Amino acid sequence: MAEWYEEKGRDNDVVLSTKACIVRNIKGYNFMPRLDDKECQSLMNTIDGAVDKDIFAGGQASELDKDTAIRLIRLQVLGREGSQMAGAERKAFYYNDDASLSIAVGSGEHITVRAQAAGHDISVYKAAEKTVTDLESKLDIAYSDKYGFLTSNVRLAGTGLKILYTVALPAISKTEGGIAALTQRVGQYEWTIYPFAERGELADSNVYIIASVNTLGVTEDEVLKRGEMLIADVIKAERACREEIATSKKDQSEDIYGRSYGTLRYCAQVSRSEAIQALGWLRLYHDYYDAGDIKCSWNAINKLTMNVLWEPGVPLKKNSPSALTTSQKIRADGIRRTLKSEE
Amino acid sequence: MRCERCGKELTNRIIKINGITYCENCARIMGYDRFLRDPSDIMGNPFAPLDEIASTLMQMSELDFGNSTLTCPKCGMTLREFENEGRVGCIECYNTFNDNIVREMFKQQGNSEYAGRLPGQTAATDAETKAVLQAPKPVKKTAVKAKTEEVKAETESKEEEKPVSAPEEKTEKSGLTVDKLMKADLGMLSDEDLEKGIKIAAEAEEYRLASKLRDELKGRKEGENNG
Repeated sequence: MAEWYEEKGRDNDVVLSTKACIVRNIKGYNFMPRLDDKECQSLMNTIDGAVDKDIFAGGQASELDKDTAIRLIRLQVLGREGSQMAGAERKAFYYNDDASLSIAVGSGEHITVRAQAAGHDISVYKAAEKTVTDLESKLDIAYSDKYGFLTSNVRLAGTGLKILYTVALPAISKTEGGIAALTQRVGQYEWTIYPFAERGELADSNVYIIASVNTLGVTEDEVLKRGEMLIADVIKAERACREEIATSKKDQSEDIYGRSYGTLRYCAQVSRSEAIQALGWLRLYHDYYDAGDIKCSWNAINKLTMNVLWEPGVPLKKNSPSALTTSQKIRADGIRRTLKSEE
Repeated sequence: MRCERCGKELTNRIIKINGITYCENCARIMGYDRFLRDPSDIMGNPFAPLDEIASTLMQMSELDFGNSTLTCPKCGMTLREFENEGRVGCIECYNTFNDNIVREMFKQQGNSEYAGRLPGQTAATDAETKAVLQAPKPVKKTAVKAKTEEVKAETESKEEEKPVSAPEEKTEKSGLTVDKLMKADLGMLSDEDLEKGIKIAAEAEEYRLASKLRDELKGRKEGENNG
């Protein structure tokens, strides 16, 4: 299975990934919270019959082996905590070759179609829509003229569409009032921004998710256009802040950049937060300095950022000191190998 | 924050009654005029506070507890469960809890009308991936001298051919420019100039300056309110 996020995406100095999620439910079945096990099995069989097996692999979550589940976490089909695997008998996951396209059954709504691509790439919407329309043609979908596509979570009723940009904003985060100003700007587009962090985790990564909110009163096209305008603003603002920091604090930035690279390239153990901080500095100053001895592409920085952010299972092991040391060694080893391959 | 009745963005006054947020206009329509009155109005009538309390308690009992036992005939979900979880159990719940669902939709999105595509159809969209042309990535400084010069020359020639869309410094009628704003003593600017300045700075993508101006304006307004 190739890794979709290793592709070279546009504006990848700021945008890590673009995702489109569309949810649907099937008429004749209660929504997930009120669906008994027997009905749920029938629902899963119905959906399984409609999924195009020429494109999608996978199936019932309880039948996925551990390695596949870890791989799906890395490929961002499952959340990092793997919490979607709870109640695996009532869930199913289907994914294409590189997991850029996936269908989750029973995760909140009956069907969640997700398309994802590296960098800034709104064509993910069309990819998700193609899969959804195919399912709509084969299944009796819950729909009303008044509310559109009906969902268990009423906040998703309507288009059932969410567009999410994952962005790395080390410079805006380091600029006084930067995130507050950006939050205001994002709100003007009626979108939302929140830090990348799983439950109970410190949001220390400088990585944020910018997501659409409205599913009613707007067409899909309006959501996409608004998102494109917004992300263009975000990219411009982040680049402007990087320029400002890189020029006004040149010596300091060069020093931290070199040190950060050194830490990542030669560390034997590294904590998640240290790796994230170092990657943030690498990202911030990457376009402004090249003494010739630091060999590192944007793709490598993005791959490392994604690998560290979507590292499966680490939070579950943090209470055990030996497990913590082992995970720090494994992380450092992975980072070193990636950077070495760039030389 | 939005009015949970009409969905309009709340501006000046926020009126919260029985946990529901109303704008001034909707509060009036719903007959909550007394919540809009200036507290000093009450001083004219010595028994007014007692009347207010009694009347509010009566309203609360009518509004808050009237529908709490409402249950979906198909899946058995109660209104209370929906309000706690934000999720409904089946399609029929949309009919059963229609008013509450519409209110929730207004609260979140300011709208409850569907405008999207029909099942099986594709959305009419022309959104495609576009590189952000307005803000080219900075050119990397390289240690190799020849390359540096090459890049420099390239950059200079690009600067000469600067696109028409390159941001130009805007001059307002008041004579405000980004440059002037940067050098200005903010205390000497009027509220109006600060507001204009925020717009100019934001357009020129001088976000630091914009936030400085905003903070100054905010500080003044807070000062006025406290004073």
